[in-house]
Amino acid sequence: MSRFKALLSMFVVCVAAQTLSVALADSKEFVVGASVALSGKYARTGQEQLHGFQMWVDDVNARGGVLGRKMRLVHYDDESKPEVGAKLYEKLITQDKVDLLIGPYSSAVTMAASTVAEKHNFPMVSSGASSAKIWERGYKNTFGLYTLAEVYMDPILEFAKNNGLKTVALIYENTAFPRSVAAGVRTKATALGMKVVFDEEYGKASTDFSSMILKMKAIKPDMVIGGSYLPDSTAFMRQARENRLYAKIFAFAVGPGLPDFGKNLGADANGVMGNTQWEPELKIPGAGEFSKKYKAKYGHEPGYHAGGGYGAGQVLEAAVTRALSVDRDKVRKALYELDIVTTFGRFKVDGTGKQIGKPAYAVEWINGEREIILPKDAATHDPVFPFQDWSKR
Amino acid sequence: MALFEPTILLQLLIAGLLTGSLYALLASGLNLVFGVMRVINIAHAEFMLLGAYLAWVLYVYANVHPLLSLFIVVPAVFGIGWVLERTLIEHVVGRPLLTSLLATYGVSIIMVNAGLLVFASDFKSVPQLQGAIVIGELAISKPRLVAGVLAVILTFAVYLFLEITRLGKAVRAVAEHPHVATICGIDVQRIRMLTFALAVAMAAAAGVMLTMIYSFSPDTGADFIQKCFAIIIIGGMGNFLGAFYGGVLLGVVEAFVGGFGTTQWAEAVAYLLLVLVLLIRPTGLKGMADVK
Repeated sequence: MSRFKALLSMFVVCVAAQTLSVALADSKEFVVGASVALSGKYARTGQEQLHGFQMWVDDVNARGGVLGRKMRLVHYDDESKPEVGAKLYEKLITQDKVDLLIGPYSSAVTMAASTVAEKHNFPMVSSGASSAKIWERGYKNTFGLYTLAEVYMDPILEFAKNNGLKTVALIYENTAFPRSVAAGVRTKATALGMKVVFDEEYGKASTDFSSMILKMKAIKPDMVIGGSYLPDSTAFMRQARENRLYAKIFAFAVGPGLPDFGKNLGADANGVMGNTQWEPELKIPGAGEFSKKYKAKYGHEPGYHAGGGYGAGQVLEAAVTRALSVDRDKVRKALYELDIVTTFGRFKVDGTGKQIGKPAYAVEWINGEREIILPKDAATHDPVFPFQDWSKR
Repeated sequence: MALFEPTILLQLLIAGLLTGSLYALLASGLNLVFGVMRVINIAHAEFMLLGAYLAWVLYVYANVHPLLSLFIVVPAVFGIGWVLERTLIEHVVGRPLLTSLLATYGVSIIMVNAGLLVFASDFKSVPQLQGAIVIGELAISKPRLVAGVLAVILTFAVYLFLEITRLGKAVRAVAEHPHVATICGIDVQRIRMLTFALAVAMAAAAGVMLTMIYSFSPDTGADFIQKCFAIIIIGGMGNFLGAFYGGVLLGVVEAFVGGFGTTQWAEAVAYLLLVLVLLIRPTGLKGMADVK
């Protein structure tokens, strides 16, 4: 019996302490909740994103907080899994009773988490998703930050059109994101009066593209666009060289945008174009300063996941400042009305919460470096065009 | 159609043969283990990646060319396989198939996550031996040619070892009937350690060559192990040469389907071929009739 009493009193103390801390916290600070991928497939990107959140929290608090209150971040590991993410957002909203929400990393986890946020009618700034499908479900509470997959290739296609290219060979992996990129390419190419002369999907496990390249050689497209990830884009470029496939532009969705592309291909990476959500060198106010501070703190250059994490925080900050409270309805209204430039780029959403303000940035590997080439006002280097023939390398 | 030109056909055939022989090197090890131990090693492709990462580390930190690192990586993984068989796999031999499946699946999960912890999920590759040998209209990829030829040599060497040497005969005896092999004075446990080590070393060799062909991350193995399963069923479960034929066949068929159809279909071919072979010849091309 005495043990039971002891347990009971401990429990009472614990509950009291928690209630007290919640009450105290409530009067002093705003709590921001997020699930972060700290293990599993996206562990590393998740870690970078978390660094971005934390830097924003530190910076806000150093400035004296928002509306005179400090920010505090509550985060949990979603193991890169949608089902875990969904549970965690339920917990953040109902148990932790957070004031503000930031979305998880990856389109898949965001799909699940946004459903939970929608159920509670809780506005959530998504900091790591680019699939348009998320915004095609009639939800009112999911606010995108990333440039959508569908517009990834727009600047490169416009550039190609302006340089007189007419035909496009389009290849893409048979998963959601690459298919979205491909759909965007088809729409944009048609709008520009260009012709998609080769259109082929390939399996996720494809390692050999030689058959595809042989067919492409017979058609001789002006440019090759890949809705791809890193392994397939590197394998494709290797085999393009081996089989002497020539085109004036080679561009891939994911792949050339990552430093590993150059490490994996060496000199063969030169001239290949790609996409990036964000780069430390982008000429956006605050981006350079953020990168410098980030590097000093964490010892490496921030990737776009870190930039996105910081940007998501800035968007929330602007929304709360505009709404003058953390009331969900007011914050939601503010998020719909915002048109600001964060260190991550412009933030402006349409009526579904889909990002429409942030442009796609194109990169190109030039002399072993990844340079931003398009759009012009953000560029660090002029595009090198056309792609240098393999025999002249 | 231009595709029916002899050079294109030859080009497709060469590409298929080269890819196929690499499949064969990977799959024959998996089949060897199954044949001798009745253990399906789900972690087989992870040993390929272990080889790939060791080669990548040697290249990046010590500037060792992958072809040279073969001589370091293959013995190293052989040793790891030897120890792992003794400490873990040996305990699940002879148990119901599910036991060994779970054990090797566990090994696979541990290896993938250890890989993610150490190397993160970034994609690695080694830009060596790039480009192609051009003979007239034909272009033969240098890394794939070297990988293909080496794969054939290694697989054939292991085959000769199994056929000719005394030790190899002991391995086959254990595959045939472990109990009788014991009675004949063969140290069965030792043979199993040797078999497992040899198989994972072959996978590691395939991994080393993969570094120059493809970009890999710790979870790349899943794509390969699925194909390997299809190959060993096509070729015949437990038959070393069967896996070799199955691998080469799959490589060639994939290349032609990719050339005349689409690459998407080429990916499905492994499984269509699997169904076809099972319908016509349920034991696979060179399957053992007694495998349950």
